[in-house]
Amino acid sequence: MSSEAIMAENLTKRYRTRVKAEGLGAGVKALFQPMYREVDAVKGISFTVQKGEMLAFIGPNGAGKSTTIKMLTGILHPTGGSMKVLAYDPVQNRRELCAHIGTVFGQRSQLWLHLPPVDSFAMLGAIYGIDDTERRRRVDVLAQRFGLGEFLHTPVRKLSLGQRIRCEIAASFLYEPDILFLDEPTIGLDVVVKQAIRELILEWNREKGVTVFLTSHDPGDVEHICRRAMVIDHGVVVLDQPVKTLKESCLNRKVITVKFFEPRILPAMDGVQMECSEAQAVLTVDTKRRPIGEVMTAVTNAGGVADITVNDPPMEEIITEIFSAREAGT
Amino acid sequence: MNKMKKYRIIARIHVQNAFVYRANVISGLLFYTLFIFVFFNLWRAIYEGGSVSGYTHGQVVWYLIITELVVFGCRTRIVTQINEDVKTGAIAYLLNRPVHYIAYQAAAAAGQIAANLFFFGLLAAALGFLFVGPIPDFQWAGVPCMLLSGALGVALQFASMTAIGLTAFRLEDNSAVYLIFHKLVFMLGVFLPVEFLPGWLQGIAKALPFSYVAWGPAKLFVGFSWSLFLQIVPMQMLWLSVMTGLSLLMYRSGMRNLQMNGG
Repeated sequence: MSSEAIMAENLTKRYRTRVKAEGLGAGVKALFQPMYREVDAVKGISFTVQKGEMLAFIGPNGAGKSTTIKMLTGILHPTGGSMKVLAYDPVQNRRELCAHIGTVFGQRSQLWLHLPPVDSFAMLGAIYGIDDTERRRRVDVLAQRFGLGEFLHTPVRKLSLGQRIRCEIAASFLYEPDILFLDEPTIGLDVVVKQAIRELILEWNREKGVTVFLTSHDPGDVEHICRRAMVIDHGVVVLDQPVKTLKESCLNRKVITVKFFEPRILPAMDGVQMECSEAQAVLTVDTKRRPIGEVMTAVTNAGGVADITVNDPPMEEIITEIFSAREAGT
Repeated sequence: MNKMKKYRIIARIHVQNAFVYRANVISGLLFYTLFIFVFFNLWRAIYEGGSVSGYTHGQVVWYLIITELVVFGCRTRIVTQINEDVKTGAIAYLLNRPVHYIAYQAAAAAGQIAANLFFFGLLAAALGFLFVGPIPDFQWAGVPCMLLSGALGVALQFASMTAIGLTAFRLEDNSAVYLIFHKLVFMLGVFLPVEFLPGWLQGIAKALPFSYVAWGPAKLFVGFSWSLFLQIVPMQMLWLSVMTGLSLLMYRSGMRNLQMNGG
């Protein structure tokens, strides 16, 4: 039996979009002579993902991440190349394949909005051929694990974003998929819910050996969930390395934003870049050189702290850094 | 069998869902009652002088009650739903399930239609008996054929709505197609029996699908005969096959050309 969960070879996707020129005349002309533009969203990417692996598939907006996921899940047909997901061809065997994969698209609900999650679970149970007793057992386990009990009977459209995403992920676990495709699963969620969801995914990987294919703009997702990162830009894979290596080179920074009740002067610290303006300071900490705890202590010792937040630098910044490092290396 | 089970459960959950929105059900029932009341009075005024094109007053009121029952019974969000799914790209996310999109929509609509027919059927029977008494010369032996024709009318309406919804793959705005279909069904059967139309138009109406949604079943209910049955039901089957085939073709071609941007 193959140990590969996903195999893509020279995968390409070309879109054809209609171009509308400005002005009334151009609009009339387009009626008779429409103009099209071709866009190469994915340009011949090749990679493999092993069973049980947790892969981050990252890149800037429009890089081709979601298009790749949609091809791997059989939603979009590739223009060229070949792929196998769990030994299935997603184009030829889409319906057989989707019985073995779970998908969560953070920006779109896959649950039935007007139904309570418990009905959605019943419908999914029927669609995936799980018998009623087994489905009820699994829903109980998931409800407990994901803390769904209190809103299991509330229509999905009335749930908060965090509650909905928990239900979405629980729904994709219901039929115990072998691969989980997560497209921005934590988008718009608060820190606590994000962390809970990351832990759940990790737990499922440990217990069930589920393969995770994740795209996210949140460096925290990549850092906490994945062991391997693949960076895609303009439809081409530009980097493929362990998250540990990426972390050492690019995911080693935290941004601390401090607001004081009145202007303060903070001591200069090695490994900390500081930008101060009136009663606010933004500190970019290189955690390899200076532990974040030490910086926090120095900040609180300065006194008069009104507010403090710690964030990862934006993914776009990290990717820019990756590109700069690559260019410097070549 | 497992395959059918999933669609049965989808239908069942949509029946349950139909019972949840009480305001929708009540307003629909009130609107239906108002509609029948207005036309009952209109037909009463017109029928002062006897029968029209072979329909007595009682028959024409029952005819209207049944055509409206088909129309109100078929009230689902199918066109809007397919439109939204295609335009927003949500159709692609439904493909991530081991279920056929059209079969899923059919099962969901069947649930909704079953619930509608239950509510409106009870009301239709009550209004009919209240306004004009039982259907004159009702042919009990023809009931299975009438029910078959009714089911085919509902299925034809569903298949047509599905095909109209799927035009969203090609048309930016398909509301005109929907309006034209809706008005033709109304004018060529729901509002008036086809026999009330001029002779040349009757021939055209009987060759097109629109009359077979409501006129066909209603005509069989109020004036059943085997020759009528053999005239109406094969045409319903033919148009149902055409519309189903068209829907599947449009779906396949649309899915092949489906283009979605990322994100």
